[in-house]
Formats: sequence, structure tokens, C-alpha cells
Amino acid sequence: MGQVLRHEVLSVLLENSANFLSGEEISKRVGVSRAAIWKHIKELRNEGYEIEAKPRKGYRLIYRPDRVATEEIQNELSTKLFGQQIRYEPVAKSTQILAHQWARAGAPEGSLVIADEQQAGKGRLGRVWYSPPKTGIWMSLILRPPIPIQQASHLTLLASVGVSSAIINQTNLPIKIKWPNDLLLQGKKICGILTELRGDQDKIEYIVLGMGINVNQQSDHFPSELKEVATSLAVQGKQSYSRASLIAEVMKELEYYYLLYLEQGFEPIRNRWESLSDLIGKKITAKTPQAKVVGVAESLSSDGSLMVRSGKELITIYSADIDKE
Amino acid sequence: MTLKMHEIRELIQLIDDSSIDEFELEKDGEKVSIRKAKPEVITQQVAAPAAYVPPVAPQAVPPAPAVQETAPAASAPAEESTDTDLHKIVSPMVGTFYRASSPDADPYVSEGDTINSKSVVCIVEAMKLMNELEAEVSGTIVQVLAENGQLVEYGQPLFLVKPS
Repeated sequence: MGQVLRHEVLSVLLENSANFLSGEEISKRVGVSRAAIWKHIKELRNEGYEIEAKPRKGYRLIYRPDRVATEEIQNELSTKLFGQQIRYEPVAKSTQILAHQWARAGAPEGSLVIADEQQAGKGRLGRVWYSPPKTGIWMSLILRPPIPIQQASHLTLLASVGVSSAIINQTNLPIKIKWPNDLLLQGKKICGILTELRGDQDKIEYIVLGMGINVNQQSDHFPSELKEVATSLAVQGKQSYSRASLIAEVMKELEYYYLLYLEQGFEPIRNRWESLSDLIGKKITAKTPQAKVVGVAESLSSDGSLMVRSGKELITIYSADIDKE
Repeated sequence: MTLKMHEIRELIQLIDDSSIDEFELEKDGEKVSIRKAKPEVITQQVAAPAAYVPPVAPQAVPPAPAVQETAPAASAPAEESTDTDLHKIVSPMVGTFYRASSPDADPYVSEGDTINSKSVVCIVEAMKLMNELEAEVSGTIVQVLAENGQLVEYGQPLFLVKPS
């Protein structure tokens, strides 16, 4: 209860951060006594918010710590669906696990799980995603798309398009997509996307779209085995970014492309993907679980697979790690 | 000339039952060529074969015919028993078949395991979409029909289950 009220006090302060608001005004809007408001202001200060207090004028928010808690994000959301329900955990084993549990319990489409830190962030096939506290965006979005299961892999490419667009909007950094959906800056990984589908042989029950975005890590934050392959927006952009604003932007862009996809199909997503990827026309090596294919990436096909020209053969790639020559 | 679909189907049936390997018909600039798929297992299973061709029957059967340049079918899983009371769990999409959640983990299911309709039996992955496939039936796994890391087709049988 106290937490809910604290969020409301914060929301009121966030909405009016240009002006002072009297304690009386805040207590009227939130519906509690002035003494209670004072208590919540003290707690917000303990969380890192700087709130200026002036006699006869009231309170004004002057500094927001880079938090990813629910009220920070909801304040900036402009979506109808995505992120309308948020579950925030300061520390979680993995947001994927929480999202699966929530989805099975009936979470509506667009529900979002965010953690400030993941102790065992999930990568693909049991790999671990490095997710230290207060630096990155670790979150999982629940989808219930009304599409046949065979088309579900469209969503992994759609996710890379949505997240890239959001990052570009916020940072102007030259994000490139590596097939199918890794986001790179200067050839190093900035974001990984893990898409897990639960369903039977003919029906999607739900999809959990997991995203890890390296935002404010400094280069010495990365463990040595990641230094060569991973980077962050802060390292590349030489400034720090608000994670809450970026999450709100990611929700906006993902929702935009998702609704566009449901209305117009994969074609507009494919066009945008091809323009954001620097793979098409390049010589690549694709290591699939079955073989190693060397050739030129020719196009993205209508199901999202990568068409690779190898000698006279045109090979369809469904699963692979891709390296540019 | 213009052959109708049912005529082509009839031709395929005739050739299937015959000892002919290849058949071509050319008239008025239109050409139909039908060729039986090579029976040997291909080693590099990267290209997407057309629709999965179910194995017709066990051993010593003429290979299934394929129209035009249709690639050979995926290595057909041997189906020893003709038990019709066995349930087939089939792949809902083209992708890579994984028996476990990670290379070090135990398989989701093995032969002899009891499963229920919500049991996850495998992952089929395409474009990094990890599809955790539920069994849809309760019973016992009789046979695992695909190999870990294999590319499987839409509709390809992955498991035989004896329903309980």
C-alpha cells in the first residue's frame, strides 16, 4: 500500500517537475495527509531522487536516478497495449522465467517483466546473458499473436526491427541487425533477443520476447570474455542514457511494428529489416547445426530465413551463427 | 495440351507403381517432367526441401516420385511398426530439432518416458524462435524419430507415443 502511494507521489512530482507543488496540493491529488506525503518524499530521497523543498512553495523534483521501476516507465509510455501491465523486480533470476509463469497464469498480451539485475539471464540454448544491476535493460514481453505457428518466427525479426528503431530514435547510433536478430554497434553486440514460444502442434499459446540491451555499462564493466564481442550504448555514444525512457520507446516501436505486421503482414517488416541489416550482398559464413555454409547473403525470404548463394546453389538458412568475412 | 492437376496426380501414381525412374512429356511447348527421388540419404541437410514426404512403407519400396526439381525428402525416419494406435507428434514448423534445453541438459523426454499433454517434448528452432513443443497427448514415448540438431520439416513426425 505504502509503495503504491509512493508511486503516486512520484508520478505527481514527475508530471510537474518544472514547478513547485505545495504539500497541500500533492496531498489533495494523492488523497493522503500532508504528514504522509512528507514520509513518502523522504523514502523517495532514500531511493536516490533529489527533491527540492522550499518553504511556502513546496516540492520540486530535480533529479531522477536511472531506475527502471514501473512508475518511471508508465509515466513515459505512449502505447495502448505494450507495457500497460508491468511487473518490476529489483533482482530476478531471469525475466524469462517470470514471464512464462505470468503468461501461464493468464497475463494479457503486452504484459512486461523488468528486472534491474538478473542473476541467471537466459540466452539461447542454455547460454547465460550477462545482466549486472543498474546498467542495462533486462525485460520480457508477453505476446499472444493470432497467427499460425509456422509464421511465429517473423516475430523474432520484427523484434529486432522494433528495438533497433527505438535505440536509433533515442541515441542516433548506427545500429545494424545481424541475422536473424542480434543488434550490433561497430560489430559488437549491443542487444540480444530470445524468443520463446509455448504451444502445441497447431496453436500458439503465448510467446515471451526476451530482450537484453547493454545501455550504461562502461567498457571495464564487461568481463574479459565479453570485451571483444559486446559493447554498450554509453561506450559507443560517450554519454549515459535513461533506461526508463528507452524502455518506453522500445514499447512504442515494438507495438507499432507488431500492429503493422498484424494488419499488413511481413512485407513491411522485411523491408525495414533489410535496410537495417548490413548483411545483404555481403560474403558470410553460416555455421548451422548441420553444416558450414560459405556464400553471399542474397535476401531475406518471406518466412524470415536467410537465402545464401553458395556457388550455384541457393541455400536456405533457418538456424545459424553468421559471421561476415 | 494443358494437363489438369488430377491428370498429373494420375501420372505420378502410374510412374510410382512402375519401374520407370524418369518420365518426360513435351507437347505444344509445354513440358512435364517427373523423376523419382534418389533413395540415398543426403549428407548436407541445409537447403529446405519442399513439403515433407512421409515415408510410404518400410524397406525395399521404390522411392517416392517427385515432380520436377523437388529436393529429396529429409532422411526418412524408419517406421518399424505399423501400429495405427500410436500417436505421432509432428513438427509444427521448419526448423532445427533440439531434444534438450541446452547442450549440457538432459533430453526433455526419452523412449519409455511417461508424458502428459502439457509435457514439453522438444524445441524446434527457426530464426532463433525457440518453440517449446507440448505433447498434446498423455502416454508413453515409444520412439524418438529425429536426431538432435537435425533440420526437420513442417509436419515431420518427431515422436511416436502410445496414448494412455
